[in-house]
Amino acid sequence: MKCNQIKEKFSDFLIGEIDEIKRKGIQEHVTVCNSCREELETLSAIWAKLGVLPEEQPSNNMRTRFYATLEKYKKSLEQEKERFHLGKLLVGWVERWMPRRPVFQFSFALLLLVVGLAAGYFFHSSWQRGGEIAELRQEVLQIRQIAALSLLRQESLNERLKAVGLNSRGEQPDEGTLASILRTIGSDTDIYTRMATLDDPYLFPGFSIVKEELAQSLSEQTSPLVEVALALVHHIEHLK
Amino acid sequence: MNNATDNHLMEQVRDGKVERLAIIFERYHVMLYNFFLRLTYNRSLSEDLVQDVFIRVLKYRSSYQGQDKFTIWLYKIARNTHIDYLRKRKDIVLLDEQLDKIASQEPLPPEKAEQAQEILRLSQALAKLPLKKREALILSRFQDLKYKEIAELFGCRIGTVKVLVHRAIKELGKAYLELSGGVAS
Ligand SMILES: [Zn+2]
Repeated sequence: MKCNQIKEKFSDFLIGEIDEIKRKGIQEHVTVCNSCREELETLSAIWAKLGVLPEEQPSNNMRTRFYATLEKYKKSLEQEKERFHLGKLLVGWVERWMPRRPVFQFSFALLLLVVGLAAGYFFHSSWQRGGEIAELRQEVLQIRQIAALSLLRQESLNERLKAVGLNSRGEQPDEGTLASILRTIGSDTDIYTRMATLDDPYLFPGFSIVKEELAQSLSEQTSPLVEVALALVHHIEHLK
Repeated sequence: MNNATDNHLMEQVRDGKVERLAIIFERYHVMLYNFFLRLTYNRSLSEDLVQDVFIRVLKYRSSYQGQDKFTIWLYKIARNTHIDYLRKRKDIVLLDEQLDKIASQEPLPPEKAEQAQEILRLSQALAKLPLKKREALILSRFQDLKYKEIAELFGCRIGTVKVLVHRAIKELGKAYLELSGGVAS
C-alpha cells in the first residue's frame, strides 16, 4: 500500500473503527516507513493526551432552570387546550345544529349570518343611532343578493321565497320585506318539512319513519332561528 | 430506570406528553453541557446553551420525524444553538481570553499544577482550530460519535469527516507543540 492510502486510514485507526486486516496493514507499513510512523505516533500521542480533558458536571442550577421551564411550558399548553376546548364546544354546537342537506346548511349559514349581523347591529346601535336603518337596509340588500344567487340553484326553495317577493321586488327592500324574509326563513318549518319529505325521495326510498324523524328534527331546529328572526323583526319595528 | 427509547420518548413529547422530556434531559444534559464547554470554555454560557437547546426541542417538537437517530437530531439543534450564539455575539476571540482567565484564576497545588498546565495548553490548542475541525474532533473524541454519525450531522460524506478529524489532530498537535515551547515539525 502507498503512504497516502495508509494515512487515509489513520482517523479510523485512532477511533478504533477499523478491522483487523487494515490494522495489520497499517502496522506493517509503519515498521518500514519512517514518515508514516512518525505521523501516526504524533497523532496517537495527541489523541491520547486529549484524555486528560475532564468531563465536567453542570451546576444544580441548570436542572432547576430546566424543570421550571418545562413546568411553565406544560401549563401554557394546558391553558391552550382549555381555549381550544371552548372553541371546540362552539364548533360542536354549530355542527350539531348544522342540517345535513346543503339547502338547509345554506339556511343555517344564513341564520348565523343574521345572528352575526344582528349582534353587530345591536352593539352598534347602542352608541350610534343615526342612519342605522339605512345601514341595515344596505346589509339586507347584500344578504338578499347573496341569497338570491344561491337560491337560484335550489329551485323549490327559490319558488317558495319568490312567494314572499325576494326576486320580484325592486332593488330597495323595505322593512316589510325584511320581516317577511326573516319570517319565512325562520318560522316556516313547512319549508324544511316539505323539502325533507318531498324533495329527497332518492335519499330515503321507502323509509317513511326516517323521513318523519328527519322532518321532526328539522322542525325542532328552527326554534333558535325563529327566536332570532322574531327578535330582529321586533327590533326593526321598534325603531320605526 | 426508564428503558423507553429516545425516539419513543421524543414522539411522546411531540404528541403532547411534554413531561417526558425530563427523561431525555436527564439522559443528555451532561453530554450537551460538555459539548458546549469544549466549544466555549465557559461554564455558565454552556449551561445557558443547554437550556436553550431544550427550549428549542419544545419549540420544534411538532416537527420531530424520527428519521435521524435521536442524538443526531439533538446535536443538530445544539450546533445551531451554538452557531446562533456566535452570530449574535461575534466573540470567537473571547475563547482565548476565557482560557487566560482560567489560568490566572485557579492557583493549584504543585502536584496538580502540571496536569492543569497540560489541560490549559491542550484547550488553548483546541481553541485555535477552525470551528468545523474542532467540532469534528470533539464529537469523535469526547462525544463518542461515529464518523458516519458526524457525516450525517454535518450533512457531508464520511470520507470528508475522516479527513477533517485527521487534519484536526495534526493541527492540534502542532499548536500544542508551539504552546509547549517546542518547535513545530
Ligand atoms: Zn508511509
